[in-house]
Amino acid sequence: MNYLRATNLGEATALLARYPEALLLCGSTDAALQLRHAAATATLIDIHALEELKGVSVEDGHMRIGALVTLNELLRSDVVRASLPLLAACAETFGSHQIRNLATVGGNIANASPAADLTAALVALEATVTLASQEGERSVPLEAFYCGYKCTKLDHELITAVTVPLQTGEWYYRKAGMRERLNIAKVSIALTQGHGGFRISGASLGPNPVRFRTLEALLDGGVYDDAAIKEALESDTDPSGGHRSTKAYRLRVAFNMIKEALSQPEER
Amino acid sequence: MQITCTINGKVHRFDCAPESRVLDLVREAGMTSVKAGCGEGECGACSLFVNGRLVNACLLLAPQIQDAEVVTLEGLQEETAAIRESFAEHGAVQCGFCTPGFVLRAYDYLSHGGERSEEAIKAALDGNLCRCTGYRKIVEAIVKVKS
Repeated sequence: MNYLRATNLGEATALLARYPEALLLCGSTDAALQLRHAAATATLIDIHALEELKGVSVEDGHMRIGALVTLNELLRSDVVRASLPLLAACAETFGSHQIRNLATVGGNIANASPAADLTAALVALEATVTLASQEGERSVPLEAFYCGYKCTKLDHELITAVTVPLQTGEWYYRKAGMRERLNIAKVSIALTQGHGGFRISGASLGPNPVRFRTLEALLDGGVYDDAAIKEALESDTDPSGGHRSTKAYRLRVAFNMIKEALSQPEER
Repeated sequence: MQITCTINGKVHRFDCAPESRVLDLVREAGMTSVKAGCGEGECGACSLFVNGRLVNACLLLAPQIQDAEVVTLEGLQEETAAIRESFAEHGAVQCGFCTPGFVLRAYDYLSHGGERSEEAIKAALDGNLCRCTGYRKIVEAIVKVKS
């Protein structure tokens, strides 16, 4: 295997242009398992030392979270807890302490798991990802970054940061799974209700996290009827029946979570 | 590739493939307190410190410990003495396979000022599994570590 270490962003994008099929190594929690289970990747580009991809900052009502920020850094950040409590609540349910010390925000986004809680929360928060290549940078709404199961729109690019508008109003985050800790989501729901109305997304309810727009419109219109909520959920989601649970179960739990979100939201 | 790091204060050099797991390297270097459990980051039996952060050695690849300071239970005998004694006193051990991971997590938690409530300790142990089902005594042992 060809191992290449990038020490700055310019080096990383140059290597990526030269080896477009390379596997990027940052926290390594997903990469280590991929290397063990999949056929050998020819090239590994290690980006974990890139200072440009670290740290959290706030400017103009937005938070910029570097792609290499770990889940524990996110969880312990006072500014994240104060300004994006939904994201902090989500990080709290993510993996274990040891995994949160390694796993990065950018890695979780790029890995594109249908069960990725963090990306569902970020979609509800209307996050934008910044992608860099040798040609320069571009920004894409996170929702539009995905294109099916484990599919992203990365094109010889790496994720440098995610930008999130600071949260206002009521919010809700909940995850259901087989056990309380170190859990892969059977269903998770992220909801915010601010000046722009409802923003709702979920994990394990389709190949990618998406905004539940039919449901949002319904709730924005003041319709809280059970049958209508169920119908909207079915049209907005595409849950698979996998080994972790059935489609009917996922829909039922999602419905119960939406009801709970409407009756007992948290407030910021 | 060549990897150089310190393990418990001593310099080690490895000639290894980039996809080698840190778990295997440290065990080959003689640190057998680092156990090969699930191999998927679920059980925490392979927990060790890299530059002060507790991580799963099974999820870490060789290049990530280049120039790093790696510390295992072997290198923390004095620091963990009170925790190990408390585990022994409370019978917080059955087969013992998970114990080094639990002791390191307890040390990490307590040395960062972790709260001594059962609820907080249970949450802190989210990355460590004991398949002998000994959690009750493990939590008790950590609550009662002498400071």
